[in-house]
Parts: sequence; structure tokens; C-alpha cells
Amino acid sequence: MTDGRLTRLGYVPFALIVYAVLLVPVIMVILTSFTTATAPTVPTEGVSLEWYSKLLNSSQIVDALVVSTIVAVTSAVLSGIIGTVTAFGFVRAEFPYKETFSTLLLLPLMISPVITGLAIVQYAGKIGLTGNFTPLILGHVVLTLPYVFLIIRARLVTFDQTLEQASWTMGANKLETVLNVTLPIVAPSVLTGILIAFVVSFGEFTATQFLISPGTTTVPVIIYTELRTGLEPTISALAAVLAVIMLVAALLGERFGEDN
Amino acid sequence: MGMLEVEDFTKYYGDLLAVDDLSFKIEEGEFGTLLGPSGCGKSTTLHTIAGLREPSEGSIRLRGEDVIDQSPDERNIGMVFQSSATFPHMTVEENVRYGLEMHGFEEEEIEQKISKYLGLVQIDEYRDHKPGELSGGQERRVSIARALAYEPDILLLDEPLTGLDRVLRQELRNEIKQIQREVDVTTLYVTHDQEEALSMSDKIIVLDNGQKQQEGSPTEIYDGPSNSFVANFVGKSTRLKGTVATLDPPAVETPVGTVPVGAVALEGLEVGQRVELFLRPEDVEFADPAGTATTTLGGTVNNVEYLGTFSEVLVDVGEGVEAIVHTSTSNVVDVGDEVALDFDPANVIVLEE
Amino acid sequence: MIIKGLPIPDVVKRYGSPRALVALGLGFLGVAYVVPILLLYWQSLNFGDGGLFIHYESALSGIYLQTLLRSFYYGILTTVVTLSLGYVLAYYIAFRAQREKFLLGLVVLPLWIAYVIRYLGIQLLLFESSPLVQLLGTDFGILFSTRGVIIGLTSVFLPFAILPIYHALNSIEDELISASRTLGAGQLRTIRSVIIPLSLSGIVAGGLIVFILATGSFLAPAILGSPGDTMIANVIQGAYSNFNVGLASSLAVIYTTLLLVVIMAFNSYVNIGRVLGEL
Repeated sequence: MTDGRLTRLGYVPFALIVYAVLLVPVIMVILTSFTTATAPTVPTEGVSLEWYSKLLNSSQIVDALVVSTIVAVTSAVLSGIIGTVTAFGFVRAEFPYKETFSTLLLLPLMISPVITGLAIVQYAGKIGLTGNFTPLILGHVVLTLPYVFLIIRARLVTFDQTLEQASWTMGANKLETVLNVTLPIVAPSVLTGILIAFVVSFGEFTATQFLISPGTTTVPVIIYTELRTGLEPTISALAAVLAVIMLVAALLGERFGEDN
Repeated sequence: MGMLEVEDFTKYYGDLLAVDDLSFKIEEGEFGTLLGPSGCGKSTTLHTIAGLREPSEGSIRLRGEDVIDQSPDERNIGMVFQSSATFPHMTVEENVRYGLEMHGFEEEEIEQKISKYLGLVQIDEYRDHKPGELSGGQERRVSIARALAYEPDILLLDEPLTGLDRVLRQELRNEIKQIQREVDVTTLYVTHDQEEALSMSDKIIVLDNGQKQQEGSPTEIYDGPSNSFVANFVGKSTRLKGTVATLDPPAVETPVGTVPVGAVALEGLEVGQRVELFLRPEDVEFADPAGTATTTLGGTVNNVEYLGTFSEVLVDVGEGVEAIVHTSTSNVVDVGDEVALDFDPANVIVLEE
Repeated sequence: MIIKGLPIPDVVKRYGSPRALVALGLGFLGVAYVVPILLLYWQSLNFGDGGLFIHYESALSGIYLQTLLRSFYYGILTTVVTLSLGYVLAYYIAFRAQREKFLLGLVVLPLWIAYVIRYLGIQLLLFESSPLVQLLGTDFGILFSTRGVIIGLTSVFLPFAILPIYHALNSIEDELISASRTLGAGQLRTIRSVIIPLSLSGIVAGGLIVFILATGSFLAPAILGSPGDTMIANVIQGAYSNFNVGLASSLAVIYTTLLLVVIMAFNSYVNIGRVLGEL
């Protein structure tokens, strides 16, 4: 479409500014993790990996990585199962107030995680759900469930049900059909859902701060507590590690989603 | 000076040549049509005239002035799009008002024009409805009224009857023609439907693969196609290939026999030259088989299609050639009948191969 | 490998149906989420001496009320800024840019990175050791101030504004825009009269999401703000860490109830579920 050259020129700088606002923070974190100085600056005089080795030497941090991983994996799998089952139900069934209920499932996304954290920690205490991991995992399943639900539901809506019908006419009962036809086709999306749940859980802070116990803390919590006392490149290094883990998992998840 | 002049228009999409050196003129008040198959460049040409695309080469002149540097809103054109493109968030009245406001009409005149043009397309009673509430045909009418309301210099229509059912298409086709006559606006219409082109246009420009094949009135195009593409694309016909047999009497040798033609048709051709013959279905009749008519093709009836006002009969005349005959429905012919066909040699269209 | 010869267990035959699956899912959510929140409502009430709503009296007074109002105020500010920036960028990607997928990917990319990391990045940018501050000599007092918080909220929640708007813009038929141009409207007029009205649903959806998320933010004020910038999430956490469960609960109840009202009000206009799904 023919248009003023001026407007064309105006867009690109603006777009660059907006993208800078979006991306510079993360870039800062990654850059400062390699600095040779003691304060977190951009590495101008060479690159150092000392901050990363400091991470490995800290048992507190290694423990946190382990805890985060256990929690994220467990929550993701549980959330994946519950979310997939629920999504199936929603797409295949008709019942009153369906829209309202599906919005209900999305509430943990919208209501500040502070509420979720507070509510669950109180609740767990009251019903005797003790243990270092249980409240954590419970909270993370609740928080990641909406993501899984949305992803699977979107996939199921476009799923061609005549495939299942064909399977029945060919002699398979409903269970066999689900196992042989439906699940294999939907599996990539389930995997995407689980990976996204993993990502969300790994990086969660606001609710998690209520749910941890001494000796069982997660990476985001450590990052936060440390940066309250002052900025050091070690924090950047840990944050960079966290970012990479999250990005890799997310990209894997997207890859599975696209193969649909 | 014509209202619309396209000169040496060429358009490249990357390496793809979409339109090749196209020139034509539409006079004031004339109804012109760009006719051709999909991908022939007709839409590209129309969009370029509208200012929605830029030409690679060539010039476009509206009312005598070169409009290359003008954006669509500056060209004072009215355009009807393939999908109606009525604004879903405005009522019918607001849709029509839009162009009037953009062209600076006074409020009184706006009211007047809106009523006039909504009335012209017979959709005034729906003026407070939104397009989403209307049927496809009604939406189309709104888009026509909208484009005409501010009385542009030229009306551009991009296959406006696409997606409508046959009855509606016929109806709207007639209405568009009537409206155009009444309003007397220079019009450029784009279509792949040769029936539409023949019935509506004052002038047809036939395009194929970006190149102009012929420019002329409907009669000229139909009775005197300038090449086999036009002859094949416009109208149905019985097609024969052959060589010029004799110039006097004028005749062409074909696989199914010697076909007499008009002397005029062979002008400029030599004996032995390869030609294609076309015979329009309405120029062929059933001959009395027992008669001694000298100009007959003959064969077995393959198919009879009753089309209400006439029947279309396909006859196998041998050597893989199928003749098409349009005949009165009172001629009862059945599949399998042996028939003889009669025609006036002067009606045979002869084209060099 | 085909799995066959599996008879369906009677239990599943009798009770297994899509509705049952829904019940399972909602049941879990009910037990693990709704009940705990209801418990908060319960705990916010005081059954000892002093009166039933004593915690609410504290919660709705002085600094707590200020904090609540401030949260809404910051939420609105962030919404305005993100919608303005976001609309222009979404417009650029939808109508002007060549590699839409790539550009959209860049918008989505930061979403995969934890909030705590992104806020840390902003703090690093405004910290005395950052190249920006070294270059300019000062950070203009942005760090640990309201501006810092708003900048942080904007940076983090921008994608949530861009995506729904992009989606709405992208679904506008090209011919509608061509029609507007041939009818005599210039570029700006076309934007005003056709494009913006038709992308309104995207604007509302994006704005709503940003508002909800920004209002409930804990980390932005905690990392980038001064003590005078605390928001509702911070005071809830603060009350809890002071073992004042009653106060924390009442604050939580007030916040949650207000938020639910906002969500329900808008749910009739723009179905949030669908919008989030499209993300």
C-alpha cells in the first residue's frame, strides 16, 4: 500500500525502543554474569566464569537447584495429568455454566500468586499436610494447571473426532481407541503442556515464598533473598542459569506444539 | 481524451511478470470490462488503477492527469471489492456516509445522497442495520451504493458477483448495468465470467497471462475473435483444425471433411495454411437428413441438455470432434440419433493457428 | 504397536464420561484451591474478643487503604503505558513488518523468563555499576522509586498487551482497509475510523490482563520500589510474616473479592478464558 515515507521511517526506531524495553533486562542479567569486576557490570575487560563456579561450589545453591527440579518435574507431570483429563472433559461434555467453570480454572493465573501461596500454606497446616515438599508441589500444581488446561483444550478443539469414530467402527472399544488413536495424536500437546508447566514452576517465586521450609528452598527464592542484600555477579550467574533452563524447556515445548 | 487511460502498464511481483505492457482506454460513461482467466493480471491492473499497488512501468491517467503519485484516497474513485468489505462496525447508513464525509460533502447533501443511492440499490429500509445482519446480496448492494454515493470519476468493480448464487448473480448483474446507465459513471469491471462481460460491457479487454489479447465491443469479441485464445475463452463453439483447401470457392480441409467458409474469412491467407475453425452453437442447425444440403456435418448425438429456453446438443461428428448446437426446445432429439448439421459458411470464424 | 484386547473396567463404564472428567478436574481445583481461599475468608473473621470484623477495620484504614488504592493506581498507569506502546508495536508487526513470526517470537520470548530475573535485570540496568548509569552519570532517581516500579511493570507485562492487540489487528480483512482508502480516507483517518474500532476487543482484553497482573504484583515494588511504593501483595506478605494471620487474611479477602468483581464484570464483554487461550 502506498504510504508516506515518513511514517515508514518512524516505525523502526520506535519498534527498537519497545523491543529494548522488553529484552534489555534479560540481556543485562546474562552479560553481568560474565564480568571480571566484583560489582555486576557489563564485561568490558574480558570474560570470567568465576561466578558460575562459585555457584557450583555453594551447596545451598546446588540443593536449591535439586529442589526446584524435583518440584518442577513432579508438579508438571501431575498438572499434566489433571489438566489433560480436565480439558478432555470440558471439550467433550456439555453442561450448564461451562464458560464460568472454565474461567474458574484460570483463576490461579489471574489472582495474584500471593493469595494462592497464603491460602495453601494455611490450608496445608490446618489439614495436616506436612512435609517439605507437599505444600510446595500442591501449590505449583494449582498454579500450573491453567496453562496445561489451555494448551490441551486448544489442541482438542481442533481434533478430528471422525478418527475416533472410524476406530470404533473398526472394532475398537472406547478405551482402546483412546489409547491407540486419541492419545498418540494429542501426545505432543500434552508434552508441550508439561514442559510449559515445568517452566512456570521452576521460575515461580511469589507463591513459593510462603510454601518453602528451612532446608527446602528453590532457585527463585534464593535469587530474591540474595538481591535484597546487595547485587553481586553471582546472582546474575544464578539468574542466567535459571533463564537458560526455562528457555530451553520452553523452546522444546514450542517445538512439540508446532509439529501438530 | 478518455476518462481512464492505461499506457504500457507492466507489473512485476519479484521475478514474476504479472502484467505485460498493457494499454487500453475507457471513455467517459463507458462500461469497460477486463476479462480473463484467474491469474491473467486483471485484478492486479484494477488494484493498480485504484492506487492500492504501484506499477513497475507505465502510466495510469484519470481524467487526463497522471495519478501515479496519488494515494487511493486522492484519486476520487469508487471501488467495489470481491468480499463486499462493508464495515462491520457501522450501520448501512454510516457505511455510505463514510465516503461522503471523506470527500467533503455538506451535511444536507450527505443526507440527500445517502437516501438517493440507498434507494437506487433498493436497500433503504435496512439503513439502520449492520452488514452482519444482511444477506450476501444485500451486503453487496451496500458496497455498490457506498462506492457511488460521492459520485466518483470512475467506478471499479473487482469480480463483485463472486460467491453469490446464480439467480442473485443474474439479478445483480442487470441491476449494476442499469445503475451504471442511470448514473452514467465511467466503469471498469473485472471478471472471469465471459457471459457477464458480454452482457454488461460497452467494451471488453481480454487478458491472458498478463497480455492483452483483444480489445473491442462484445459483438466484435464474440463474432470476430482475434486469436484462438479469445475464441476459446469467450462463448462456446464447435472447433475444428484444418488447412486452407481452396480460396475460390473458399473452403478449409478438415479431418471431418471439407468445410465451406466465407470469402472474407480467408482474406490474407494462402492455400495450405494451417487454421482453426470456430462455429458458434446458435449458427448451427439440424438439417433434414434426406435433404441435399451441401454444407453439412453429420454424426451421432452424444448428449442433450435441456436449458429452459433452448437445448444444447452435443454431436459426435467423427475424428474426436464434438459439435455444439443450440436449438429450439421443440426440436426433439435423443441421444444416439443420427443427425446432419447445417450452417451458413459466412458464420465460420477462421483464425490462423 | 497397537494396544488391544483391553476390556473397559466396569467402574469406567458406569461412571466414566466426559462429565466425570470435568468433575475430577474441578474437584481437584475445588479441594486444592477454592477451599483454601474460602479458608482465608474464614480466617479473616475474628472469633475472639473485639468483634467479628476487627481485622477488616485495620485492613481498610490508614496505610493499608492507601496501599490498596496505590495498587489500583499503579495498575491503571501500567495499563495505559503498555497499551500505548503495545498498540503501536502490534500495529507495526501486523501491518508494516516483513517477518511477523520472528518479531512476535521476540515478544513472546521474555515471557518464558521468570519475573524475578527480569526485575533483577532492570535493577542491574539502574544500579550504579551499569553502563547506562556510568554513561549518564545518574539514574535520575528511577531506582527504588515509583517510576522504577512502573518501568518494571511495563517491561514485564508488555507482551500481555501486545499479543491480544496483534491478534485483533491481524484478523481485520485487508479489503476493509483498501475499501476505506478508496472511499477517500487517508492513512490516519483509516486508523481512526476503521482499524481502532475493529481492534477494540483486543485493546480491552490486553488492558484487562495487564491491569489484573500489575495490580497484584509482588516483585516489582519489592525489587524496584521504595518503602512508599508497597502494593497490596507486599502488605499481605508482610502481615503474614509478622504472624498476623487475621490481618493478612482480611487484606487477601478484600483484594480477591474486588478482583473477582472486576473479572466478572468484564467477563460478559470479553470472555477472558478465550483471550488467555489465544495467547
